[in-house]
Amino acid sequence: MLAYILRRFLGIALTLLLLSIFTFVLSRTVPGGPWLQGVEIPQSPQQVAAFKAKYGLDKPLWQQYLVWLRNALTLDLGVPFSMPEITVSRLIGRLLPYSALVGGLAATLAIALGVALGIASAARANTWLDNVITLYAVFIGTIPSFVMGFVLAYFLAAKLGWFPTGGWGGPRHLVLPVIAYGLPVSGGVARWTRQCMLEAMGSDYVRTAYAKGVRELGVMTRHVLRNALIPMITNFLPLFPGMMTGSIFIESVFGLPGLGKYFVMSSTNRDYPMVLGITMFWALLIACTYLVTDILYGIIDPRVRIAEKAA
Amino acid sequence: MSTAVSAAAPAVAQAQPRYAGILAGAWRRFRRNKLALFGLGYVVFISFVAVAAPYLTPYTYDKINPSIALQGPSWSHPMGTDILGRDMLTRIMYAARPMLIVGFATQLAGLAIGTTLGVLGGYLGGAVDWAVSRLVELFSALPWYLIVLYMVMVLSPSLKNLILALTITSWVNSCRVVRGLSFSIRKLDYVEAARALGIPGWRIVIYHVLPQAIPLLLWTFASGIPTAVFAEAGLSFLGMGVRPPQPSWGQMLADAGNYWMYWPHMFVFPSAMITLSVLAFQGLADGLREAMDVNVNI
Repeated sequence: MLAYILRRFLGIALTLLLLSIFTFVLSRTVPGGPWLQGVEIPQSPQQVAAFKAKYGLDKPLWQQYLVWLRNALTLDLGVPFSMPEITVSRLIGRLLPYSALVGGLAATLAIALGVALGIASAARANTWLDNVITLYAVFIGTIPSFVMGFVLAYFLAAKLGWFPTGGWGGPRHLVLPVIAYGLPVSGGVARWTRQCMLEAMGSDYVRTAYAKGVRELGVMTRHVLRNALIPMITNFLPLFPGMMTGSIFIESVFGLPGLGKYFVMSSTNRDYPMVLGITMFWALLIACTYLVTDILYGIIDPRVRIAEKAA
Repeated sequence: MSTAVSAAAPAVAQAQPRYAGILAGAWRRFRRNKLALFGLGYVVFISFVAVAAPYLTPYTYDKINPSIALQGPSWSHPMGTDILGRDMLTRIMYAARPMLIVGFATQLAGLAIGTTLGVLGGYLGGAVDWAVSRLVELFSALPWYLIVLYMVMVLSPSLKNLILALTITSWVNSCRVVRGLSFSIRKLDYVEAARALGIPGWRIVIYHVLPQAIPLLLWTFASGIPTAVFAEAGLSFLGMGVRPPQPSWGQMLADAGNYWMYWPHMFVFPSAMITLSVLAFQGLADGLREAMDVNVNI
């Protein structure tokens, strides 16, 4: 197990290394640069040279990269061009709570609602309830979060005035973004849950349990759900980092000051350190979540552990 | 039901050319899914609208006319006009073009790259397979919205660069499918027999391995389109897609920006089109899966 985790860590390090090289080269090889952004008057060559010298952009590409890499290993991701008074790491730390809150709550909503609906439709498979839930899952799953955001904002905020239409100012500002972002995902969660449950329900041990006279509730919770949980967890856990990074759209609909909004801003402004920093941060988070998921997989499914011991 | 179909199949197959029976069965299964039928109808309809847009409307998508700006739906402008007085219906119709182009182009490119890599990895095995697997792993664990967005930004936003950036991620699924399939097929007896006959590897791949992958590939192709449509709308919404004055639904939604509260027609129609398109392509993909009886476990 330890060897496995170590190997995975090496894999993550390699992934991050490749990604950083790709992003780094992509940003530096294309004409134009941060010194051209937001400047009305054409800058003199001396000014551009001074800017380049200040941030080390005049050195060869590989040297720039190695400097960045050395600093990044000590969690020093540099200083954003657009905000020289703060470091990238600190700015990410300051913006992360917004994205984490919206994405995390939305993922929680999607999973809670989706799993409940999925279990209900599997338990009553091929009845009207199953049909209604499946219909809901298919339809809701096709609505992009930003479309959902507009619709909710129009009816619940602009027309009825129950919630603010955007901005940040407390829990009430979170309600609409979280619903708009979480609801569409709940459709996919429900479909997957239903499929996992049905697969488990078709197995021999479930028939045995029924034959022994176990009541439906007992079979469902102790035999079906416990087995269906395994493919469910491996699929739903990555939703958390995935939805945190995907909150770009919902953040721009509701004007939330999260990482996604800053990422769009930074890429428009060619703010290299910021873009690279945010990309690497999310990639690390996603990779770690996959690792945790795979380790959890071994913990909750005894069969995986036994197979490993036998090997 | 299913036993009756399979019992009848050999008789049909003997009477007619080999593929007729397969296609008829597939169509019968496809037809059972109402959403798939709707999807097929919608895709045909929207493709027609996209191609014939100039002949279907008396307006152009870029003619500015401030005197009629921000009008609600009326007989002369069924979907109203936008902030610059351009006819919304006309813009909606023209915007079907980037949606379809991005959807099909990214999936076609992804299919080509994914199939090639997948066959190489799965059939050759060894070091090649190791490299392909690492590549797939690398690309499936990335914050790819950010990378696509950044790539489009750096290359300067345009339809071409959007397709290029989206292609980077669109090959992963077909690669995984083909790799898994060719990995299991190469151990089968008939491939072994072909190899024993001295048939070169590339011939075995093209004539014996790839035909087996067609249903799965068709399904990956179809199911990738809604994702691409979604991505095109989202990135255009953030200003990273089609350049104005060329319209795109996502961009029209972004244009609704400050006006949607008072002129809801500005967000209602683009929103409806995006959702309808994703739903239609999704339904079509689901229908294809059932029709071809694909076992999907990716």
